[in-house]
Amino acid sequence: MLYLLPHAVDRAAMRAPDREAIRYAGASLTYAALAERADRLAGVLRAQGVRRGDRVGIHAGKGLAAAVALYGIMKAGAAYVPLDPSSPPARQAFIVRDCGIRHVVTEPSRAAALRLLLAENVPIECVVGIDGEVTPAVRVVTWRDVDAHPGVAHDPDLVEMDLAYVLYTSGSTGTPKGVAHSHRSALAFARVAADTYGFRGDDRLSNHAPLHFDLSTMDYFSSALATATTVIIPDAHTRMPASYAALIEAERLTVLYAVPLALTHLLLHGALDKRDLSSVRWVLFGGEPFPTRHLRALMAALPGARFSNVYGPTEVNGVTYWVVPSLPEDDDAPIPIGQPYANVETRIVGDDGEPVADGNSGELLVRTPTMMRGYWARPDLDERVFWKRTVLGHFEDVYLRTGDLVRRRDDGLLEFHGRKDRQVKARGHRVELDEVEVALGSHEAVESAAAYGVPDEDGSLHIEATVTLRDGQRVTAEALRAHVATSLPRYAIPVRLDIVAAMPRTSTGKIDRRALALNAKGRAVTVEPT
Amino acid sequence: MKERLARYIASDILNESDRVIGDDEDLLASGLLDSLSVMSVIHFIEQELGIDVPAEDVTIENFVSLRAIDAYLGRRG
Repeated sequence: MLYLLPHAVDRAAMRAPDREAIRYAGASLTYAALAERADRLAGVLRAQGVRRGDRVGIHAGKGLAAAVALYGIMKAGAAYVPLDPSSPPARQAFIVRDCGIRHVVTEPSRAAALRLLLAENVPIECVVGIDGEVTPAVRVVTWRDVDAHPGVAHDPDLVEMDLAYVLYTSGSTGTPKGVAHSHRSALAFARVAADTYGFRGDDRLSNHAPLHFDLSTMDYFSSALATATTVIIPDAHTRMPASYAALIEAERLTVLYAVPLALTHLLLHGALDKRDLSSVRWVLFGGEPFPTRHLRALMAALPGARFSNVYGPTEVNGVTYWVVPSLPEDDDAPIPIGQPYANVETRIVGDDGEPVADGNSGELLVRTPTMMRGYWARPDLDERVFWKRTVLGHFEDVYLRTGDLVRRRDDGLLEFHGRKDRQVKARGHRVELDEVEVALGSHEAVESAAAYGVPDEDGSLHIEATVTLRDGQRVTAEALRAHVATSLPRYAIPVRLDIVAAMPRTSTGKIDRRALALNAKGRAVTVEPT
Repeated sequence: MKERLARYIASDILNESDRVIGDDEDLLASGLLDSLSVMSVIHFIEQELGIDVPAEDVTIENFVSLRAIDAYLGRRG
């Protein structure tokens, strides 16, 4: 019976041992090889003291090693925690401490970056995947040691409610928060995606998103359920649309899944007219709205493919979708986020917590088996995000408050109408503007800080900020940006930073962030992306 | 052009004006440039040299490093 994520790989290894499970830059692992290597890694991790419920970090770029790491960690009974290698070491160190990570799986090419992390005084005791010693001293296991290990039998006590992974996302109090998913919630979404889109053994899914981004879970887990092949898009290709297009053609990819911005770049800069992309049968997108005119143009450029929106916060994976029909030429209105996937209940409520009248906007609450277990070690946040109601006497139904405002149209489809709070999607990445302000405010010269999202031409948005300084203090915008770069991921660093004498205020005396954002939007400047 | 480009990437994109970028340093895989900063680099080259860089030329081979960009621009003549 299949109830843990690695079971999908083991089943695929029985059914189609020689089929390629993962491809990366011309190299590949068959399902038999992936299952075996993951077993060996699990054996090493168990021997190094990893037990059920432990959290093990993955400090690796996309690639075959990372794929082995995520299954090996789960086979050992632990939850994997991707550490974004491109984020500041201090942020990675926070995650390691917050999540109590004692073991990290990595690869030799990351040795230098890993040393920077270890220098942050973290509780890491054991590193798997580098050669040679590191300081401060930790136990080191090489990949050669992994390949020599006989592997390990599954922990029979592991059940689907146990943790599978923890993904860290921006937190409004100034530090990231971990979204903890179980095998059950992850498998529930992998199954619904594989069923809804009819993934097959001959499908070749792309993995465009990095591991710390929840889009990656469909790329790996739905693919394994379907005994299909996952082709990892190297980071360099995600930055070069013409190379990405060439890779789609060369690898004969059948399913693409990416943030709209990446697909917009593919459309505008991919030289698609020079490519045969007829292998593509599904284009899936999520993370932020897809500008309708670009979506329509991409649909025209890939006439053989079907397109679907995938909507859902990381806390619940995907909960609604819309298979996009032919879009009228004269209407650029945003497309709806769609209808619930199978096995999802939606509820739209007003500020009083009661369902809104038909056609009115309210906060979307969802009840779904794809829901996280909770935030890692943050019962206070769980308390706020879960909405519970007693039913049938003493049972409890648990819903997730998405924080997203939606409206149900007459045809039943849901439309997205913004956020209840100050979370934005900057180029597909989820950012709490409060976290950016906390980072700015931590500089000694800063008196007050306001961060806001400013729309881009390509339909995404970037972050800008305005600060005032304490009396007698001087600091340059460049120095302030360098300061926040030590704690914020790159996409959250304000692209433009204005230092002013006084903030605009609302009539009630609050900082008028809306005026600042409108002013920034109206300014005809060339934005320098970071 | 190589030097101007190195200065542009260091000060305008990375916001670290004293950052030295090696001729063979991988601009793409290392995370120095993301997809939007690649577009800025193309825009900068087009402005500085008054040329048009067609989409099909914006490939990893042509833009992986300062040396590769220099060689590409050399071929363009």
